[in-house]
Amino acid sequence: MTTTRERATNGSAGETTATRKGATNGSAGAEQQQQRRQVMEVRKRNGDSEPVDVNKIVRAVERWVADLNEVDPLRVATKTISGLYDGATTAELDRLSIQTAAELIGEEPQYSKLAARLLAAYVDKEVRGQQVASFSQSIRYAHGLGLISDDTAAFVSRNARKLDDAVDPAGDLRFEYFGLRTVADRYLLRHPQSRLVVESPQYWLLRVACGLSGTPAEAIGFYRLMSSLAYLPSSPTLFNSGTRHTQMSSCFLVDSPRDELDSIYQRYHQVAKLSKFSGGIGIAWSRVRGRGALIRGTNGRSNGIVPFLKTLDAGVAAVNQGGRRKGAACVYLEPWHPDIEEFLELRDNTGEDARRTHNLNLANWLPDEFMRRVEADGDWSLIDPSDAPELPDLYGAEFDAAYRVAEKQAVRTVKAQDLYGRMMRTLAQTGNGWMTFKDRSNALSNQTGEPGNTIHLSNLCTEILEVNNDAETAVCNLGSVNLGAHVSTDGVDWAKLRETVRTAMVFLDRVIDINYYPAEQAAASNPRWRPVGLGLMGLQDALFTLRLPFDSAEARELSTRVQEEIFLTAVETSAGLAERFGPHPAYAETRAARGDLHPELWGAEPTQPKRWAELKARVAEHGLRNSLLVAIAPTATIASIAGCYECIEPQVSNLFKRETMSGEFLQVNTYLVGELKARGLWTAPIRDEIKRAEGSVQGIAELPAEVRTLFRTAWELPQRALIDLAAARAPYIDQSQSLNLFLAAPTIGKLSSMYLYAWKSGLKTTYYLRSRPATRIQQATVAVTPSSVTGVDAEALACSLENPESCEACQ
Amino acid sequence: MTTDAETRTATAETRTATVATVGERHLLLDPGMDLTLRPMRYPHFFDRFKEAIKNTWTVEEVDLHSDLADLAKLSPAERHLVSRLVAFFATGDTIVANNLVLNLYQHVNSPEGRLYLSRQLFEEAVHVQFYLNLLDTYVPEEKERFAAFAAVENIPSIARKAEFCFRWIDSIFELRELRTRADRRAFLLNLICFAACIEGLFFYGAFAYVYFLRSRGLLNGLASGTNWVFRDESMHMAFAFDVVETARAEEPDLFDADLEQQVREMMAEAVDCEVQFAEDLLEQGVSGLSLTDMREYLQHVADRRLVTLGIAPMYGSQNPFAFMELQDVQELSNFFERRVSAYQMGVSGSVTFDDDF
Repeated sequence: MTTTRERATNGSAGETTATRKGATNGSAGAEQQQQRRQVMEVRKRNGDSEPVDVNKIVRAVERWVADLNEVDPLRVATKTISGLYDGATTAELDRLSIQTAAELIGEEPQYSKLAARLLAAYVDKEVRGQQVASFSQSIRYAHGLGLISDDTAAFVSRNARKLDDAVDPAGDLRFEYFGLRTVADRYLLRHPQSRLVVESPQYWLLRVACGLSGTPAEAIGFYRLMSSLAYLPSSPTLFNSGTRHTQMSSCFLVDSPRDELDSIYQRYHQVAKLSKFSGGIGIAWSRVRGRGALIRGTNGRSNGIVPFLKTLDAGVAAVNQGGRRKGAACVYLEPWHPDIEEFLELRDNTGEDARRTHNLNLANWLPDEFMRRVEADGDWSLIDPSDAPELPDLYGAEFDAAYRVAEKQAVRTVKAQDLYGRMMRTLAQTGNGWMTFKDRSNALSNQTGEPGNTIHLSNLCTEILEVNNDAETAVCNLGSVNLGAHVSTDGVDWAKLRETVRTAMVFLDRVIDINYYPAEQAAASNPRWRPVGLGLMGLQDALFTLRLPFDSAEARELSTRVQEEIFLTAVETSAGLAERFGPHPAYAETRAARGDLHPELWGAEPTQPKRWAELKARVAEHGLRNSLLVAIAPTATIASIAGCYECIEPQVSNLFKRETMSGEFLQVNTYLVGELKARGLWTAPIRDEIKRAEGSVQGIAELPAEVRTLFRTAWELPQRALIDLAAARAPYIDQSQSLNLFLAAPTIGKLSSMYLYAWKSGLKTTYYLRSRPATRIQQATVAVTPSSVTGVDAEALACSLENPESCEACQ
Repeated sequence: MTTDAETRTATAETRTATVATVGERHLLLDPGMDLTLRPMRYPHFFDRFKEAIKNTWTVEEVDLHSDLADLAKLSPAERHLVSRLVAFFATGDTIVANNLVLNLYQHVNSPEGRLYLSRQLFEEAVHVQFYLNLLDTYVPEEKERFAAFAAVENIPSIARKAEFCFRWIDSIFELRELRTRADRRAFLLNLICFAACIEGLFFYGAFAYVYFLRSRGLLNGLASGTNWVFRDESMHMAFAFDVVETARAEEPDLFDADLEQQVREMMAEAVDCEVQFAEDLLEQGVSGLSLTDMREYLQHVADRRLVTLGIAPMYGSQNPFAFMELQDVQELSNFFERRVSAYQMGVSGSVTFDDDF
């Protein structure tokens, strides 16, 4: 206590001077401020100074607002100047005006387009500043810097004029701000030393197309498709196509290391190499013995899998994907493994940090037998893989039989429901511990036609299901159709959708041959199976455009119909490729070779039986070029670039922000804004109301009920509907889908019911469980009211039924 | 009014000896060490305690990796801003924790209220650890690091804020019990000072700098840790205002125009302290964060605190920072970027198969 006194006194003494100094600073600051007001200047790129001119900024903005009737250039200009300081550079001024426009998006979404265009102009200036005035010049320049492959440079040089002419000057007008910011900060190639961008956004897309094309016509066609934002390949392709490191695959599925030290350390090495070039990794760990198991070589006991996963965790964190994003991996474990409980705690934020892996994602790879015992409230045996090494390779009835035999040597027996409950808790507390179903994944895969071919895990995002083994790492490259770009209020443009899928399939297939494989195990698998994953994004955009609530029967029908069209066209295209180039080498091992296509495995009734029948005949004759075709990936980044909602997800909020390495971005539901504007309701009080309700419009009484129904968020939808939609489209997805589920306040009861339902619906995999923060930061910008007295009469409240948790006094 | 208060004080005095008696009615600020949780007198305090537990986070979850690369990218002006800012953070939470232990815990006579304060103390400790870790990472050079930790002594703009805090800690330091109306008003002023001025203004000012940087994609590690600190601080402030309101409801006569005037003066001084801090931080000019806008923001925050306390706003200023509006909007991180901080700690229930979902 004395210490505090002294401390305080010292503080006061020291402070007297401080106060005086502070006061002096204060008045000097005010004077300076006065002066700044009068003579604020900016430094130009050539070093000269000039006074800040509001009209000049207004004119710079006006260039871009022809089709943006709600944008006020003067407002952008004055707000920009208010944030500026005397002596700032013109580059700072440009950046600030972009930021200022972006900050008005919450009021008027059109500012998103304006900010994007100002940014495009800024990037363009940067590129031109390096004497690059055309696409072919940018390729030549970047090739000289060692960024572009010789092949692509030569291809562009041969066809320079055609390609330069193909660049669409209006292309950048289509971007929203968040999308273009992402592109500019992470996708455009940069000078290795100066870090300046050396290509404009349109040059970038054309470069990606050239990297995968044999003729200029092909390249231009693919470029136009991407530039229209109707389809985008996945990030690794967008990053690396045409460059010197053409690693264009998104996913790698690595089998569990064998139960020996050398194999485990080889896996670390492989994972590091795969991570380096922007791949996401799924890796199984079920073959490695658990804690306490005997090690014969040393006559010691094993420490189990956790210390090894801790090492994996550090390895993944160390490898940064070319500075563009962090490495990421998901570990899959089967629930009979003796370390399963510790595994489920790996992401907890309490407990011994040596047993926590903050960078790894976790997934449960669940045999049906486990789920059956959960349902029947039976026992569950934990078995050491060193006692039953065959279990990871078996599924279905064979697994059940082997498991029952192995149970006789169980390390421990637990209640199946207790373990299931722990899984649910992990999901609620970390969002991790994804529930994926081993038997269904294997039984309904085209690749498991031959005994001995087993799918051992899914990938980082639970949408890829491919066979692998110790020597072969499964690989998949992905791309997604933007459904929103194929829908108008009149409905789906089916012809356009088919055309998009055909083009997309050809280029997904092309990646397999041009791809650089960072690990020999990956190079061993991909040419044999030639799997690709064509996905979908913007389902929510389509449903908003057509005004269909997410949980309506019409929405389910549309989503299923779209998926059938995509899959059917994809198989047709693959059959066409097989006619020209032959089937993929492992075709004979597939279920398709036995006459079964995926919808039949599922027992679905397609709406286009005639086309399916014709297709089957073609496949019977020529086979397929690709063993797997369709997978619905999360599309987190490419949906942003395309400016649509992610994959098959409902909107998370009508108003939310994204936090990325590029900064923070406000996202407003433009469909809702249009609706509100039409009703004269897009006002500051309503905006505050939506903000206060964290993006919900359910409390806006002025909106008719059916409008509120349409604009529900993921938290407000019955999750059963999400599962039903997923199950309905599943027959037309031969891999799987990244299906997030949303519960604002999860309980073990809700979760256990929900995941049992998901399993019974026949889904192969599920992805994150999303939940909401327990409490929120006090809002800093919406109007406050005097805090109401919650404790007027403590006695009365203590007995209130509205406070059941505090109301045990009477029980 | 005075008579009422005197009577109550007198009653409180006679009650002190037997204050632990089960079920006896006493007021929140009555002296004593109430130990009785049933029947619960202030269940809303207990609810806040439970809510706070759901927000548990640890320093190890914050990844400061990318910050180091960002620090190298900052302009000299921004680097000055960051170094001053972390120097403030180095001691800010410790000061708050001290007041909590030395003053608040003693006088909030409710076991459930003290549960919350215990939890708050833990959170302040985590914040201290976070900023400790941050400084150790940001400032690898030992001498420079020690200087940052000594900011309350050697950086005038921070020393002035510290002096303000110490003066208010001292204002009731001698008080062992809140016997008179004057004692209780002194206590309320201390409580309001720490909630509205220190956590509610100094910290909110500091958060604005962090969020400015984050809105530019800089120092994500600092931002994600600060985000959790901010979430905790929001709750601390809400709890303190809850205590104020509870005391006001129990003893309305504690509040009058005189007290309001004292709060206004205190707030005006706090705003001055924070503006001179801003002058220091922004002295080299940071594009997008002008001193004019910062002053406007601080006044706006001060007004909000006053309104919450039922006092008319003093400045009538609007928030000029759109990036602060972003803080009011729900986040959606994808796992390729940063860690998802939105998950709950306490989950209840047992396995069933027929719950609605």
